[in-house]
Amino acid sequence: MEFRDNKAIYLQIAEYVCEHILLGKWKADEKVPSVRELAVELEVNPNTIMRTYELLQNKNIINNKRGIGFFVAENAIEGVKSYKKVQFMDDELPVVFRNIYLLNIGFDELKTKYETFVKENFNA
Amino acid sequence: MNNTFNINRFGLLLRRQWLDFGKIYLLSLIVVFGVLVGFYVTNIPKPSDGLPSMDDGFISLRFRYPIFGMVGFLFISILASSYFTNLGQKPKAIIDLMTPASVFEKFLAGVFYTTILGIGSYLFIFYITDLVFCKYLNNTFSAFPPVHIGKNSAATLVKARLLNSEMNFEQYRGFACVPVMVTSMFLLGSVYFNRFHYIKTAVSVFIACSIIGYVIYLCVSKMGENMVKITDSGNNEQLAFTIIFVSSAVISIFFWVITYVRLKEKEI
Amino acid sequence: MASEKKLVKNLEVIKIQHTLVYYLTNTVDMIKINNLNFGYSKHKPLFKNMSMQLSNGHIYGLLGKNGAGKSSLLKNMAGLVYAQSGTLDVMGFNPAKRQPALLEQICFIPEEFYLPSVKISAYIKANAPFYKNFNHQYFGNLLKEFDIPVSQKLINMSYGQKKKVIIAFGLATQAKLIIMDEPTNGLDIPSKAQFRKIMASAMTDDRCIIISTHQVRDLDNLIDTVIMLDENDVALKASVQEITEKLTFKKVKEVDDSIIYAEPSLSGYNAVMPNYHQEESKLDMELLFNAILAEKIKFKPLFN
Repeated sequence: MEFRDNKAIYLQIAEYVCEHILLGKWKADEKVPSVRELAVELEVNPNTIMRTYELLQNKNIINNKRGIGFFVAENAIEGVKSYKKVQFMDDELPVVFRNIYLLNIGFDELKTKYETFVKENFNA
Repeated sequence: MNNTFNINRFGLLLRRQWLDFGKIYLLSLIVVFGVLVGFYVTNIPKPSDGLPSMDDGFISLRFRYPIFGMVGFLFISILASSYFTNLGQKPKAIIDLMTPASVFEKFLAGVFYTTILGIGSYLFIFYITDLVFCKYLNNTFSAFPPVHIGKNSAATLVKARLLNSEMNFEQYRGFACVPVMVTSMFLLGSVYFNRFHYIKTAVSVFIACSIIGYVIYLCVSKMGENMVKITDSGNNEQLAFTIIFVSSAVISIFFWVITYVRLKEKEI
Repeated sequence: MASEKKLVKNLEVIKIQHTLVYYLTNTVDMIKINNLNFGYSKHKPLFKNMSMQLSNGHIYGLLGKNGAGKSSLLKNMAGLVYAQSGTLDVMGFNPAKRQPALLEQICFIPEEFYLPSVKISAYIKANAPFYKNFNHQYFGNLLKEFDIPVSQKLINMSYGQKKKVIIAFGLATQAKLIIMDEPTNGLDIPSKAQFRKIMASAMTDDRCIIISTHQVRDLDNLIDTVIMLDENDVALKASVQEITEKLTFKKVKEVDDSIIYAEPSLSGYNAVMPNYHQEESKLDMELLFNAILAEKIKFKPLFN
């Protein structure tokens, strides 16, 4: 995994875990790699992974079964989505809004653009 | 856990030190053996030269005395002065100092390798060499016709005698601690100096001896200025040996104590 | 990858259940430094009244300019040099006494070292018995991870290979205190990645790992607490979390008053500034290092 420069490592690892869950690589009720395994794989301090797992636990994405390890929560995907939504709203949307405002883009124009995008990419 | 001495750990340490020091030791031993053999080969009488010169009815092998002393001195001093050389080089010293054994054990291992093993193995090697050459001489010269001395024609065989029995070491017991003193001095030198241990130690010892010798000479001559000589030499010898024995033992212990302290205080 | 899995598996077996331990172990100060004064000569002190506590369960990154005393501090902890005054307590021992009970709990990897010219097996046979917890299987796994053939003679190895052997040996002693002076020096790029993996797996809660480095980028994701030495003292000692809570590291177009320190980069400036908006930025250790050297006074109030 390549780490980017702009975001705390533990958050980048959280995204990495979320990605795995969203893509179905790690399924609900399955064990996720132990703190140590993931630390070794990503070459980071286990304390960082611990921080990631604590965060994901708080977001109900994974849960800790004492003595056994961490498991993907039953409704992890919901958790991931709401976590990512908050992130998008807080971090990425302001940037987009700023450009919309500066470039004077109308909401109607955006709406049609958005609908064609969804149609083309997701066939919805 | 005993943090000063543990026989088990000491054993481990001896084995560990062997890995490093064993090579130097064995190599020096081989060299010493070669040197001794070389001296014997060139100095023993050859049958082709006719009858060898004799001492007290035995083949004269006087060259052995200086050889025994000189080679012995060089061997034990070189060995002792190379024992702690690792401590003079940071990369080596760190690993040695971090080995989980106590300072006392590390010091004792040094004494063991330099004094006990060093002196012991030298005596052994010398004895073996001497024995082999004496046996050889006895064999070669047994073919010689018996020598006739005077008119009585008492036949004496041409025989070689071991240095060991020729010198009658009992008589020189007083010097028993001198080699120990030599090793203790050079062991201290190896921990005291960071480089050129041997030369530096030798020079220090030489200077120290000269100064001490000169001071003693001054004192004795000052004190003895108006004295009359009354002692007889027989008693004197016994006393001198005792003094030599005791002082060399005391000096050895003194140097060992300093070595131990230096080892304890060694910083890298 | 296969050997990496094995390594991990083995560690899991050896180290009891890791996750359990996380919640059970207490952190204690493994190293307590109190008013340490140290220098190689009386007139040129290296540390003046230095005090610091280091606890288990951390990988400390020791940073500092050349000559700031990184190696000397490590040597003080290992008892290889002696303080002029002040106290140093390592796991309840005074390291200056060089007692075996402490020595067997310290794994010290110096920057320069020497190994005798024997086979690895002979070296292990002579040295491993001093450590009653030495784990031969773990040692074998580490060598495998590092791609070192066991039968090779130590003298025929490159500096980097020897370094890997000595690291593997040190970790296999299961020492509680691991001190490494510039461990990535001399390691090639794949070895550095192997090293990071191994250190990530070696970091257990009962261990305290201290790594000095000037190649910050090699290790910045491994380090969880930064210790910076400057001007005879600890200029900064803070966890990565604490640092990123108080400071934010980002690229900016222009330098303004809120910025403590900035360095020009391709697209503007890399800047350090107080973290007003609870941003969670990635710690740029190199930038922090330069920032503290340049603007020491501005950082003081933030970290005390």
